[in-house]
Amino acid sequence: MSKGNSREGQEMDSYTRTVLDKGLSRRSLLSGVAAGAVGASVLGAGGDALAAKPAADVFGKSSDGAATLSFLKKPVPVADKDVKETLTFDVVVVGAGAAGVTAALSARENGATVAVVQKAPFALSQGNSGTGINLGKSDKAGVEALCARIVADSNHRCNPALIRQWAYNSGEAVHWVIDRAKQGGSPVIDQGNLQQGAIVKFGGYNLDFVTSFFGPKPYTTGDGMRHLAITAEKAGVKFFYNMPADQLVQNASGEVTGVIGKGKDGKFIKFIARKGVIMATGDYQNNKAMSDYFIPDLKYMGRKQIGKTGDGFNMIYWAGGVIEPIGHTKMLHDFDAGPALMCDMPFLAVNREGKRFVNEIVEMSLLNNYLRDAKNAGHYSQIFDSDYMTKATGWPGRLFSPEELKNYMPDVPGPKKGVFESQINTHVADTLEELAKKLEILDTATFVASVKRYNEIVASGQDTDFGKPAKYLIPVEKPPFYGIHRRVRVSAICSGMLVDESHRALDAEGKVIKGLWVVGNLGGGFYGGVDYPLTVFGMSLGRCYTFGYLAGRQVAKL
Amino acid sequence: MRKSFFFFLMLLFAAVSVGAGAMAAQKSKPAASTPVVAMDKHAAKGVKCENCHANPKKPQPVAMDKCLTCHGDGAAVAKRTASVKPTNPHDSRHFGTEADCNSCHHQHKPSESLCADCHPSFKFKVP
Ligand SMILES: Cc1cc2nc3c(=O)[nH]c(=O)nc-3n(C[C@H](O)[C@H](O)[C@H](O)COP(=O)(O)OP(=O)(O)OC[C@H]3O[C@@H](n4cnc5c(N)ncnc54)[C@H](O)[C@@H]3O)c2cc1C
Repeated sequence: MSKGNSREGQEMDSYTRTVLDKGLSRRSLLSGVAAGAVGASVLGAGGDALAAKPAADVFGKSSDGAATLSFLKKPVPVADKDVKETLTFDVVVVGAGAAGVTAALSARENGATVAVVQKAPFALSQGNSGTGINLGKSDKAGVEALCARIVADSNHRCNPALIRQWAYNSGEAVHWVIDRAKQGGSPVIDQGNLQQGAIVKFGGYNLDFVTSFFGPKPYTTGDGMRHLAITAEKAGVKFFYNMPADQLVQNASGEVTGVIGKGKDGKFIKFIARKGVIMATGDYQNNKAMSDYFIPDLKYMGRKQIGKTGDGFNMIYWAGGVIEPIGHTKMLHDFDAGPALMCDMPFLAVNREGKRFVNEIVEMSLLNNYLRDAKNAGHYSQIFDSDYMTKATGWPGRLFSPEELKNYMPDVPGPKKGVFESQINTHVADTLEELAKKLEILDTATFVASVKRYNEIVASGQDTDFGKPAKYLIPVEKPPFYGIHRRVRVSAICSGMLVDESHRALDAEGKVIKGLWVVGNLGGGFYGGVDYPLTVFGMSLGRCYTFGYLAGRQVAKL
Repeated sequence: MRKSFFFFLMLLFAAVSVGAGAMAAQKSKPAASTPVVAMDKHAAKGVKCENCHANPKKPQPVAMDKCLTCHGDGAAVAKRTASVKPTNPHDSRHFGTEADCNSCHHQHKPSESLCADCHPSFKFKVP
């Protein structure tokens, strides 16, 4: 190993070994050379442009080298004459989202000159809550117990060292984000343990949390990051908006020395990074070919973000990085159609057809797995009758009264508060038929029959269809009837590029790619399960802030 | 030998189908049944291919700046649609007034509303 590239003293963990063995990297271009050359000649038959170059040089490949992947298209090199301007900074951050803005301000506060290259016309992110652990008020054993639980949530497939890094640094980082965002004018508050009721006593140990809440809706972390960017700008960070990064710049030894961005006028700007480039471009949910490949389950699911085409994956792949192998973690939620706190209440649930489809103790965040087909595409409805306030007491979450539910009903006129008006989808009706119509259930007769069957089950006291605990069996018989038409869509994809514990990108040999850091959802190793776990509400943003904060400081101090 | 030839064919198929399938998705396909698209309306008003494409014989994607030379910048476009209900499609929390025209207004395939997937209640007519 060449000096400076090795991860001295670090024994390779099983996560890293696995990703090196099975991940996607330019190394599979070599193992797939024969197939690549054949692929090229066939592709080339239709258009001579491709025939001139072997496909192996143009498109990346699956980890076994067998399949050519159109979404991994090699960036076209930009000649120096096409570069309109060259600018030099200590640190260049790519992507002004939760991890990127945080990384930029952190680097600046640690003395670096910083540029942020951003695709959108302003900072852009999403969500409300970001969480960290207050170490001072938590038992160390509790922190370790929580880490063990998070590792288990990821089906033991993540890199535990990264989980610990979040656990032991997130308190400091989230407090800092709250403070700095406030300086920029954000109404952010610390919700403390409010959303963490289920884990403040954990395995008999005490835990205490800091939860940054950028809200209520329609204010989100997107607005929050714009406020944080005001603080960063005042501190001297330079933002370049409408400037999607197109490719990384590397020197002869492979060290990343900068980024090339493409302005609206189609002209290129070269950003030289004296100390390092921090990539924070988020996930790839809007790249259809890429998500169909890594997570076919998402094929028919709606998306909550826009413009997340996985640009960072492509850039880092072509700079020698490794994409985690197929088996990426997804996050699909609907907290908006009705009260978020009622989403995990085990009311009768029916699919788009009007059929009961699950033991309703399955949480909303997992229901996507039952609704993956083209017809359901994430749609389902929670159904209850006018006795819900008394009959569903003590269920997980909090009941909203009929008056409060009006805030979630698009058919009830009047101003709404703390919701996205175009996302609310709660309804009330005097008959089941009318309710079915409002919930856009495709087959009213099926729906009515499902309710009838459910009421029989309730009366018998035994859920012989799905085995739901008897305490959650309440009838749907007393009008008016209520329904919440939820549609889980992709909030985020949480798998990314192979990094070490310092968030430095690794190449296919497991060596550090000098000059290249990766944070936020573009960074891998933090998840590994089928679905993003909700054990700690706000862990996703909490992790983005924490790793942005740490990486920014680390690069600045080089 | 036979087995390896079969394997070779499978590899070939995998390579071509993954690559080509996704490439096809990127190209617009002007089928005969294609309804009137924005390009036709442009053409009816006398806008010629070469007004947008530098070389109409080998057309390349057109930078958005080209649209703005006739239609005005994002802020100007947003002003013209300021009273559209329930919200101004050209001034959003996602893009401000700087959305890419081509996200909705296509020239060679039917236009679409980028908003519609997440906000089904926004029933915009997209020329
Ligand atoms: C509706 C919704 C609600 C959510 N709620 C929560 C919540 O309450 N708590 C929680 O923990 N998580 C939540 N999440 C998930 C969370 O928002 C994401 O995990 C998090 O934003 C990821 O942060 P990031 O920095 O990796 O990416 P982002 O915040 O998405 O930022 C990526 C940035 O990179 C920019 N970019 C992309 N490509 C390029 C390029 N080529 N060049 C330059 N810039 C580029 C983008 O414009 C964007 O600004 C929610 C997600 C959604 C959609």
